[in-house]
Amino acid sequence: MKLRKYFSLTRAGIIESLQFRLATVVMIFGNLLYLIVVYFLWKAIFASSGTDMVNGMTFSDTLIYLVLATALFNFMEMYTVWEIGRNIQSGKIVLDLLKPMEYRRYLFWSYSGTFVTQFFFTFLPTFIVVAIVTHGAITFGFNLVFFVISVIMAVAINYSIDFLVGTICLYTESIWGINIMKQVIVLLLSGATIPIAFFPEPLKTIVYYLPFQSIYNAPLTLLLDGNSKPDTTLITLGTQLIWCVVMLVLSKLFWKISLRQITVNGG
Amino acid sequence: MKRKGLGFYLRIYRKILIQDIKSKMSYRADFIISTIGMIFTNIAGFVSFWILFRNFPSINGWNYYEMLFLYGFSLISLTPVQCFFDNNWSLRTYVYSGDFIKYCFRPINLFFYYQSEVFDIKGLGQLAFGVGTLIYSWNKIGLAVTPLMLLKVILFLITASLVMIALQNAAAATCFWIQNSFYVLDLVLKFKDYAKYPITIFSPVFRFIFTFIMPVAFIAYYPSLVILRPDAVPILSWLSPFIGCLFFWLSYKFWMYSAMKYSGTGS
Amino acid sequence: MENMIELRNVSKEFKVLNRREGLKGSIKDLFSRDYKIVRAVDNISMNIKQGEIIGYLGPNGAGKSTTIKMMTGVLEPTSGEILVGGNIPYKNRTKNAQEIGVVFGQRSQLWWALPLIESFKLLKDIYQISNSDYNSMLALYQSLVDIEPLLHKPVRQMSLGQRTLSDILAAFLHNPKIVFLDEPTIGLDVSMKAKIRTLIHALNKEKHTTVILTTHDMGDVDALCQRIVIIDKGKMLYNNDIEHLKGFFGSYRTLKIRIDGELKQQAKVIQEELPDFSVSADEEWISILVDEEKATVMEVLNQLQQSHEIRDMQLEEISTEEVIKKIYEEGVE
Repeated sequence: MKLRKYFSLTRAGIIESLQFRLATVVMIFGNLLYLIVVYFLWKAIFASSGTDMVNGMTFSDTLIYLVLATALFNFMEMYTVWEIGRNIQSGKIVLDLLKPMEYRRYLFWSYSGTFVTQFFFTFLPTFIVVAIVTHGAITFGFNLVFFVISVIMAVAINYSIDFLVGTICLYTESIWGINIMKQVIVLLLSGATIPIAFFPEPLKTIVYYLPFQSIYNAPLTLLLDGNSKPDTTLITLGTQLIWCVVMLVLSKLFWKISLRQITVNGG
Repeated sequence: MKRKGLGFYLRIYRKILIQDIKSKMSYRADFIISTIGMIFTNIAGFVSFWILFRNFPSINGWNYYEMLFLYGFSLISLTPVQCFFDNNWSLRTYVYSGDFIKYCFRPINLFFYYQSEVFDIKGLGQLAFGVGTLIYSWNKIGLAVTPLMLLKVILFLITASLVMIALQNAAAATCFWIQNSFYVLDLVLKFKDYAKYPITIFSPVFRFIFTFIMPVAFIAYYPSLVILRPDAVPILSWLSPFIGCLFFWLSYKFWMYSAMKYSGTGS
Repeated sequence: MENMIELRNVSKEFKVLNRREGLKGSIKDLFSRDYKIVRAVDNISMNIKQGEIIGYLGPNGAGKSTTIKMMTGVLEPTSGEILVGGNIPYKNRTKNAQEIGVVFGQRSQLWWALPLIESFKLLKDIYQISNSDYNSMLALYQSLVDIEPLLHKPVRQMSLGQRTLSDILAAFLHNPKIVFLDEPTIGLDVSMKAKIRTLIHALNKEKHTTVILTTHDMGDVDALCQRIVIIDKGKMLYNNDIEHLKGFFGSYRTLKIRIDGELKQQAKVIQEELPDFSVSADEEWISILVDEEKATVMEVLNQLQQSHEIRDMQLEEISTEEVIKKIYEEGVE
């Protein structure tokens, strides 16, 4: 079966990430502490504002948004740029390119095991806790289905952007610089640290034309907006789909062109 | 063998530093990209801050410029850890691969020798941002500029920086005990972002935690009170220089003890 | 001559995690773990004199690195005593470090980004080498190898051979009493190996430095070592001169002859004629492993000539490599 080789990479990844028991505990604990900090910070902000609603979001909306954004971040952060950069510097990339699998896919599936453990250890518990604590703030309807579809596309977009940026490492040794720029831009403009609803007007419009908001803002808005109009949902998912295709094609093309350039130059 | 005092170590550090900067300059592209990355990080941090707080006249009795003062203060006191102790981030890799052993054969202090290997020049960009922010907010708040005030700020900045150094040392040294200590370091990194908020927004339990267990409140909040709230300075603020030194000393002891305990994986 | 290194009944134990297999095993490991105690070094005693070059041999995982780590003060022995140049290494690691030099074949200890000469200058400060000692050492290096092209090259741009060479020079720079070389020739080409062996030999002669050499390359041993120590599974198997080693299994030599006819068949015939010795055949030769305590090669040859017509012959001494291999495989009686 064709998928089998991918899943065996997933399985190896799960085994590898389970080796580190203490790390798992620290990860869960740290995540919890971090969320508590976010809670207090925003509580203070809302308390100081004097109204219940800031920029169209209530305190519990904002909190759910940010908590789940963090959980999504932990789930989606694959350190791809680092991985590619290090593989290039150490020369391991030559071995990986010889594998009977496209490098882009190999890297993704090698990491997918961590996806699974992260999903069960961070995302799911966070989601359940949030759903219970805020009883009722998350509606359980079709929005969950849209959310899942949206997250899958978000993972694809996020990975494509990572891979695109990682490819730049073929040209420069500055992994740290490249990675930090990507991370900063993605986190800010995707609405992972501050909901895009809080952005001032011109910036908000610009951000909606960029691919980044499809990573965090899109799935989370779909989830939180329990009874949105069908056309809003469609537009959000449609935009994501377009970005998904565009980024996949771009990352693939850029990698192909870069690799040819590098092999020709013998770099 | 002559005694190896502070002068000996300073001389060696200066020599390594000069050589290191020389060689960094020879990788111009990396240097430029990293610097741009660092500037990006700072701009993004500033933009997030601005988006968040432009809507609110004050948070918990702290007005915008006072918040900005805390922000600038934290940026400066987080600079030394970035510049001088960045090798802590690689410690895990050295320990895991067994390469750490190579640091154990020199007749000088192990901690010094290890940390001296890396000087992260990028931290200077952060310093510039921090100083700019601090001066701007200092002006806007209308604080006096007297030699005594300057002396206070400088003293408190230096000792505050020791707190973050201590936290990072302790977090990095966990890699001698647990295998995948990246999460511990990452956790500490996340928390340092919260150093810039006034601790009064938290509940008493977390105030306690951030004061005594994960003492991020000493990075900006407590020392800043001496300048911003001269009429009601809590005893902890006056103690913060001693606490900074104490934490640093404890973290150094822990680092050295852990390194000595370390039995060297691999061959 | 005084003893530079003394080991008395040294043992080192480690706690090792037993990992379970497969996905289920990994999940089980998450909740319960069981450890076992491994004796990496088991009751080893030896003395090493000043100026000696000792080959410290053993198969992978035998406990060589652990012993070296104990001698350099990185590890504390579980039991037993170690004295290195009069110091107890783990009690005073820094003082011990002043007296030793260490090279790991594949892990450079030099500053990655710095040109070699700058690394040397830093080491001069760190080890507090006086100007005159430093200059005379550099002059000595210049007379031994062509270091000019290396001095201004950053370590990260060097080839493996150049890096190893630089690491060895750096290890000897402060004129240590003892130098530990861990697989210094691993991965190097033949001419670089020879260069490095010559260099080590010359430095040892010039400075009377004690050298502890671990290696898997018997060429290193033959070229450099007067004495070898072999350990396996933490236990010492052999500790004596290299000449003594060759006679260790009796004095063996291999007699190779070529005769007419099908060699495999002929080998069987010869085996019947010479029941004391093992006889084998390949495409070209029939090999007879002669134990000279039972009969000399000449006697065997005379006997063979009476029944066979020998077209050609060769005589091979047993090599160090073969003896070591025999020791690894069969142990010492």
